[in-house]
Amino acid sequence: MNTYYAANLLIYAGVDIIAVLALNLQFGVSGIVNFSFIVFQAAGAYAAAVLSMPPHTAAEYSFQVYVGGYQLPFPIPWIGGALAGALLAIPVGLVVLRKLRSDYQAIALLVTSIIANTVINNARPFLNGAAGLALIPQPLQDQVDTYGDSYLYLYIGLTAVCVGLVWFLAARIVNSPYGRTLRAMREHELAATALGKNPVALKMTMFIVGGAIAGLSGAILVGFLTVWAPSTWLYPETIILFAALIVGGRGNNLGAILGALLVPVGFEEVTRLLIRMNIGPPNLIPALEWVAIGLFILGFLWFRPEGVRPEPRRVFEGSPDVEVVDRVRTA
Amino acid sequence: MSIFAAAFGFGLVSMSVIAIAAVGFTMQFGITNMINLAYGQVMISSAYVAYYINRAGITIWVGMIAGAFFGAAFSFLLNRLVYAPFQRKGTSYLGMVIVSLAVSLMIANLLLPIVGYFSVSYSEHAGSLVRLGDIVLTNNQIAIIALSVAVMLGIHALLRYTRLGKAMRATAANPTLARNCGIPTQRVIDMVWLITGALCGLAGVVAALNSDSFVISSGAGFLITALAAAVLGGAGQPYGAMIGAVIIGLVTELSAAAWSPEYKEVVAFGILVLVMVLRPQGLLAKRGALAAAG
Repeated sequence: MNTYYAANLLIYAGVDIIAVLALNLQFGVSGIVNFSFIVFQAAGAYAAAVLSMPPHTAAEYSFQVYVGGYQLPFPIPWIGGALAGALLAIPVGLVVLRKLRSDYQAIALLVTSIIANTVINNARPFLNGAAGLALIPQPLQDQVDTYGDSYLYLYIGLTAVCVGLVWFLAARIVNSPYGRTLRAMREHELAATALGKNPVALKMTMFIVGGAIAGLSGAILVGFLTVWAPSTWLYPETIILFAALIVGGRGNNLGAILGALLVPVGFEEVTRLLIRMNIGPPNLIPALEWVAIGLFILGFLWFRPEGVRPEPRRVFEGSPDVEVVDRVRTA
Repeated sequence: MSIFAAAFGFGLVSMSVIAIAAVGFTMQFGITNMINLAYGQVMISSAYVAYYINRAGITIWVGMIAGAFFGAAFSFLLNRLVYAPFQRKGTSYLGMVIVSLAVSLMIANLLLPIVGYFSVSYSEHAGSLVRLGDIVLTNNQIAIIALSVAVMLGIHALLRYTRLGKAMRATAANPTLARNCGIPTQRVIDMVWLITGALCGLAGVVAALNSDSFVISSGAGFLITALAAAVLGGAGQPYGAMIGAVIIGLVTELSAAAWSPEYKEVVAFGILVLVMVLRPQGLLAKRGALAAAG
């Protein structure tokens, strides 16, 4: 248990919390089943990478090929990552969210995720193909020494600031009248439309906001890892985040945070422990980890679909009793 | 021109493979309302069943039958043990998509430690070459095409001329009304899972036979092409899926000849996106993927 290990854990937790909060805005609050969520995280990571790296003609970087290479100073790559996520959300959202039924949206996004990975994997000149990018500069690395423990604390601090910002934004959206509109759309799209709400505009907005947050999470992750490749953003990674949200509690920001700590972070640690104990053949534990995540999703959807921390029931002052509403509804 | 003639020949084989997969997928969706994202994984599982039979020295054509039986049993159990209980519980369409994706993930990772990471291929002699003008095909490829045509005719006959087919169409159109008319919809749905599961298993073996080698992750690619063909033709429409398979099969092979074989699935995806933008209901369906009321 050294500082690096603890820092690693905290930074991963921060990135996962940001990602699950974004997914909560999309899936939990607005009902958009974004099965290509990880693609937006990847877009942010790649954008942050090429914004901070020197051109690929530079001596140390000549073993890889990529577009861009602008060597921009610290906050810009992270902002650029968020922007990349948002920009990518526009065309994808325009194709998927306008006309299709919601279950079609889900499969269209799933297929998008698989294909995006195939394209980046095979198109080497764009982002170095399957080998991915390496030697990605860390934030502020020309101002401070990145090898000491103090840099880890700095990175944890930066991540924590982003977590705080994202949480604040998510809480504002969820608790605002706008959030109420989103929930209305999720519960009954036709009724919301009849009351003059534009579901396509609402969904597009949340798709773009969620895309930006996902992009930011990718930028934070890549600044810490300094490498990024197609194998890090295969579509099952999105399913982990869905599992986190389903376990934690859809539509509840606290639930999203709890889920992020339980599922991605918790599973990662348990796997690490089991691998160290050398049980069974290699690769058995990681494979079983995925099976366990699938079981978690099925188990929660069956026994407790509302998650560990259910979405609070929101009632306005002077509203009829919950029991009365239920009786009327079932009558 | 001969490269395109050759590609046209491959296109014929490719569309035969896709047609079997897509018709099974689209019938599952049309009749049971289930977008089964585990379809590709059931395909690849069946391909592995045939692989182990083939490795024991038995011809792949026997393995193919075994694969079809395995696919039927697997799909039937999947529905009985997982999908149907969730549907009865009132899980939404969206919830069912998540369930099937979780199931798909579990199948792939349960299979992984059993079959391993390395790509495998069937050991089957490709047979002698048959020439039709510029098109050159192996005996195996001709057999695949013939098999696919026979399966399509069989599905056509099933849907048009049998009581079961009529019951299936009635269940697809309106399950409640069908039940009220005395159609045992539960048994019909069981039969649908058995039949489409057999198509799925058969398609898996045929697809694996048609590709040089396969691994677990090939399942995702199988799913994408089947999905593209099914959506292109209008989801839930078996005849639409056949037309979709013809178009996707030809276009992907011609593009592979003109451009690069690595992007076959990307081309299929491009067609999928075009359909979703221009004609979300697909070629044949009246409503299909368009948002249904409520």
